[in-house]
Amino acid sequence: MITRFWAEIITALATLAFGLVIVNGALEFGIGWDSSGPQPGAFPFYIGALVALASCGTLALTVGRKVAGNVPLDDNFLDGVRAKRVASFLLPLIAFVVLSVTLGMYVATIVYLVFTMRFQGGYGWLQTLATALITAAFFYLALEKFFQIGLLKGPLETLIGL
Amino acid sequence: MDNVANLMHGFSVALTTHHILLMMAGVLLGVLVGVLPGLGAPNGVSLLLPLTFSMDPVSAIILLTSLYWGALFGGSTTSILFNIPGEPSSVATTFDGHPMAKQGRATEALSFAFLSAGFGALAGVILITLLSGWVAKFALRFSSPEYFAVYFMTFASFIGLGGSSPLKTVVSMGIGFTLASIGMDSVSGNVRLTYDFDVLLAGVSFLIAVIGLFGIGELLLTMEEGLKFEGVAAKVRIRDVVVTAAKLPRYWLALLRSSLIGIWMGITPGGPTAASFMSYAMAKRSSRNPEKFGKGEPEGVISPEAADHAAGSAAMLPMLALGIPGSATAAVMMGGLMIWGLNPGPTLFTDRPDFVWGLIASMYLGNVVAVVVVLATVPLFASILRIPFSIIGPIIVVICFIGAYTAASKEFDIWLALAFGLVGYVFKKLDYPIAPLVLAMVIGDKAEDAFRQSMIFSQGSLKIFWSNPLVATLMSIGLILLLMPLIGTAVRRLRGRRAIRTV
Repeated sequence: MITRFWAEIITALATLAFGLVIVNGALEFGIGWDSSGPQPGAFPFYIGALVALASCGTLALTVGRKVAGNVPLDDNFLDGVRAKRVASFLLPLIAFVVLSVTLGMYVATIVYLVFTMRFQGGYGWLQTLATALITAAFFYLALEKFFQIGLLKGPLETLIGL
Repeated sequence: MDNVANLMHGFSVALTTHHILLMMAGVLLGVLVGVLPGLGAPNGVSLLLPLTFSMDPVSAIILLTSLYWGALFGGSTTSILFNIPGEPSSVATTFDGHPMAKQGRATEALSFAFLSAGFGALAGVILITLLSGWVAKFALRFSSPEYFAVYFMTFASFIGLGGSSPLKTVVSMGIGFTLASIGMDSVSGNVRLTYDFDVLLAGVSFLIAVIGLFGIGELLLTMEEGLKFEGVAAKVRIRDVVVTAAKLPRYWLALLRSSLIGIWMGITPGGPTAASFMSYAMAKRSSRNPEKFGKGEPEGVISPEAADHAAGSAAMLPMLALGIPGSATAAVMMGGLMIWGLNPGPTLFTDRPDFVWGLIASMYLGNVVAVVVVLATVPLFASILRIPFSIIGPIIVVICFIGAYTAASKEFDIWLALAFGLVGYVFKKLDYPIAPLVLAMVIGDKAEDAFRQSMIFSQGSLKIFWSNPLVATLMSIGLILLLMPLIGTAVRRLRGRRAIRTV
């Protein structure tokens, strides 16, 4: 399984990459001085560099601690049981996001709640459908009718004329 | 006496039926947000903010601040009844609050918590009343270099006093600053760092970051822990509340000390969480019977609660008077102020006295309303936690994503919220602090503008930050704060060696 050591290293590498991407992007807008003062890229350039440097520092520190035999670094970052729990929550969540942008947020809400309650929570169909439909109806009334804010809608919502 | 007259005027602004109703609504929503795991104060404010765009600023800020008070109270409720802190800042309340509840003294613990929290909040608001006008007047003398120095000091204190690894704080803060600089550059009008993605043209909203980092990240963490609610039932009877209230004056020293700690941590950006822990530790250290702590000692509930709320309200002072938020929630509110077209900072006091003093007056009223409402509705909210997490969790997910979308009606924001959620989960697990990231996103543009304008004044010389006593003092304090971790390690090394020798 992933130990804390590797989680630290991977995260630091990711923030290092982020810093470098920003540095690279900032170079495009000039990091020097022109008639109006510092050029637009200067501030992001130095901040990006700082992020990259600090990431290198974290990398060095983590490796140093590992070499010195720091015990917490060998701890599990995520063991099998926990990973399963996170995945059982995260995967439907991602599916909800995908459904939201393809089928609209109301349909996604209903499908997502039905899935989590009926198939993960083990509730009866009646309870499940009632909760899902009431939640969706609540958001529809509160947002579209009361606050006049429209949510993302897909083909199904247009079909029933929402 | 100006302040008192202003405050009276503020009361005339805040004391309308409409506003009192908004306070009650805000507090109720806040308690709900505070009770539910995964939804906290910064998150609640972010979710509600898009809905306030059409309101007038005074009503909107009253609603949001009341939500904040409610969330702080809600967080303590779950700490005491369920041993689950609804908010990071109420972790310290679990130490003694839950043992008290288990001994059948739940009502007493809750009443102590709410009343001392109310006391702490009032202490913070009184300070704001007395000092804010003065601080704002002082700050009117600031120009760009001074402003940059104050921003520098704010972030230096996060690095120096934050408690997590300084390097990780720098990374988190730097990510916030760079995210803030994506999109239109306010000085040159160039579009920066979009990497040819059209969706990045309008920039990355701090609201999405807060919803993802605090909301979805927190939920993932909660799921991983395999959350189980095992609560203590509580009914709050008026008689018990009165009996507890009568005992409260006995703890005047703890109340006073905790309020002072809270105020200090709120003004400097230590924030409510640090304040509550520090106050708990101080109470334990100075107590005559420290062994009672952790087993249901009332002082162990009073101290963190008073400090937590004092810090929460005191954090409004630098936000209003200087335009620098003292906590993540204050940062979100400040972002809201800017969206409503207000410019937080000293000029707000002269330009919009109605708004400023209406807000300050509403803090007095809001906290009184909050204590009453919370005491009346605790059993109701406690019963919400009896709904299994497999129903509540997914509904919170839906709320978060709908909130992310309503911020700007952009499809891309939903994806962004998901990405921030994953980042938030990993960051929290690896002890990267998240508040600095949010703070940097909100004040990033202002800090950059202040820096660039200073550079224009000085033709590119950094000496401008030491050009007069005021800015030099601010910068020096900032540098000292920044070097604190290094000094700390050095001292610990020296002491460590000595300790080894003595052992």
